[in-house]
Amino acid sequence: MSRFDRPGKGLPDEDAGRARQSAWDTALSQGSLPAFVKERLAETASGKRPWVTTASPAGLLAQRSHGIRPLGLVSGNCWFHYGYSWTRGHYEGWHTAIDRLRLEAALMGANAVVDVTMQVKRMPGEGNGDHMDYAVSGTAVRIDGLPESANPALATVSALEFARLLESGIVPVGIAIGAYFNWFVATGYSAGNALSFWNQELGPLSTFLTQVRRQALQELRDDGMRLGSGVLAHTQHSELYRIEADENNPYTRFLARHIALGTAIIHDSRTRRPFGVRPVLNVRDSALLAATDTTKEAL
Amino acid sequence: MSDVTETLPQHAIERLKGLRDTNRHGGIFTSDFSVNEFLMVGEAGFEPLGLVIGTCIYHTGIQYAGWAKNQEMSVLSQAMYEARELAMSRMEQEASALSADGVVGVRLEVKRMDWDKDILEFLAVGTAIAHSKGHPGFKGPAGKPFTSDLSGQDFWMLLQSGYRPLALVMGSCVYHVAHQGMLQSLGNLGRNTEMPLFTQAMYDARELAMERMQHEAQEAGAEGVVAVQLHEGSHNWQPHVIEFFAIGTAVKPIEDAAIIPERLVPQIVIPVND
Repeated sequence: MSRFDRPGKGLPDEDAGRARQSAWDTALSQGSLPAFVKERLAETASGKRPWVTTASPAGLLAQRSHGIRPLGLVSGNCWFHYGYSWTRGHYEGWHTAIDRLRLEAALMGANAVVDVTMQVKRMPGEGNGDHMDYAVSGTAVRIDGLPESANPALATVSALEFARLLESGIVPVGIAIGAYFNWFVATGYSAGNALSFWNQELGPLSTFLTQVRRQALQELRDDGMRLGSGVLAHTQHSELYRIEADENNPYTRFLARHIALGTAIIHDSRTRRPFGVRPVLNVRDSALLAATDTTKEAL
Repeated sequence: MSDVTETLPQHAIERLKGLRDTNRHGGIFTSDFSVNEFLMVGEAGFEPLGLVIGTCIYHTGIQYAGWAKNQEMSVLSQAMYEARELAMSRMEQEASALSADGVVGVRLEVKRMDWDKDILEFLAVGTAIAHSKGHPGFKGPAGKPFTSDLSGQDFWMLLQSGYRPLALVMGSCVYHVAHQGMLQSLGNLGRNTEMPLFTQAMYDARELAMERMQHEAQEAGAEGVVAVQLHEGSHNWQPHVIEFFAIGTAVKPIEDAAIIPERLVPQIVIPVND
């Protein structure tokens, strides 16, 4: 009944599992990759195994129109324990994962990795609040006419959008990250203020949160500066927690954090090519689509 | 074909016959296409025949993993793989009985049952289609109908780019992530450091899932795999057990020069309302 023959079917092989483990162990500690991963990358790049892309079929058109050829999936991750610094955790976790992805892409001789997605995973359960996995994956591509690259460009946009950026004279080069957190101890801030009957701004808290956000954006800017001439920040997220006083902390404290992620680009506004704007009617009927969603609720 | 119809129950064959026979009075197709999808499948030169489904309810076996050990849960890996295969091949059977060229818009869903955590339901559902002029060059591997999770629009787009779909290919890996020992946990207290055991588990599981999907594509005789999605999830398992699942449509270039569509010159459009 099986649709395809499959390798590794049958009983689990304890020894093979252990061998894989130690291969990962050695490789990651040396900043390298196990032989079986290198084999997949090499055979995919050379066409011995099928190419793989996350792009929709429209992305295949970019292959014809802009010479962007998909190679295969590349990925990297880093499970990081951020004991004293959430900020460093985000910074190091993401950057380690990105370096690993870049290494895979370089081994394929890719010029760029497009459609890079970023994902975090936490382990459920108690006592797991101070560590998580930072994972990135994307599609390695070759651009016709360019030599193999040891340092491929990364972009969180799809192959089609990558082509559009190139067409406008913009080159996406990497992923910039800005993260910052801080504590605010409400010594002079009495709970009474918040309970009063008149309208008022909670000034100290506003100032605190503003400062955290500004600092994160400053970090984003600094990170982007290493890479290119601008950052298109697509993700921004902040959180503010209130932690009540306890025996070790006589005052109520607030924890604020902000993270901003974006694609770093190199561009020169003087060489920017204008494109004609043409109005187009999109016949995708969202009202109809919405109606199909309601049936799910009705069932 | 007869061997396929023999394994299907009578009422299923009757339902399928009613859909396919356009000469018969009252012959009618069914599909879950949107209006645009329906139009684009027609534009691609195909017509819908009917909704085809495959269902499999599966009881997963039991496997214990070492508490402090990274390892593939091969019993669960196989269960997830086999159950999806069964659902898919049952759907393919229905499509074969319709003499379809293929199935598009395939959705592969996994549902867990409230009443037993070891029982999972797998559903494959899609719309069987056939080339309106009966061109023989669109069948999948081994002359079976092709399968794809691409929408009607994407199917049209794929043909425009000179490729045809072969099969929905997938790779799965269920993995047990080792627990950290007490000493190591204490050692990490207050430190900024990578947790290599956890990193490796995620890396290895993802690698295995991707590799298996690619292997299926190779078996299908594909040149490439498009629209690949990588999912990570846990189907009601213990906290340290995760599944990586890779799925995509294996494709190959259209062989018959006569049916390769004219070269499409894409125009870049920037929607200004979103």
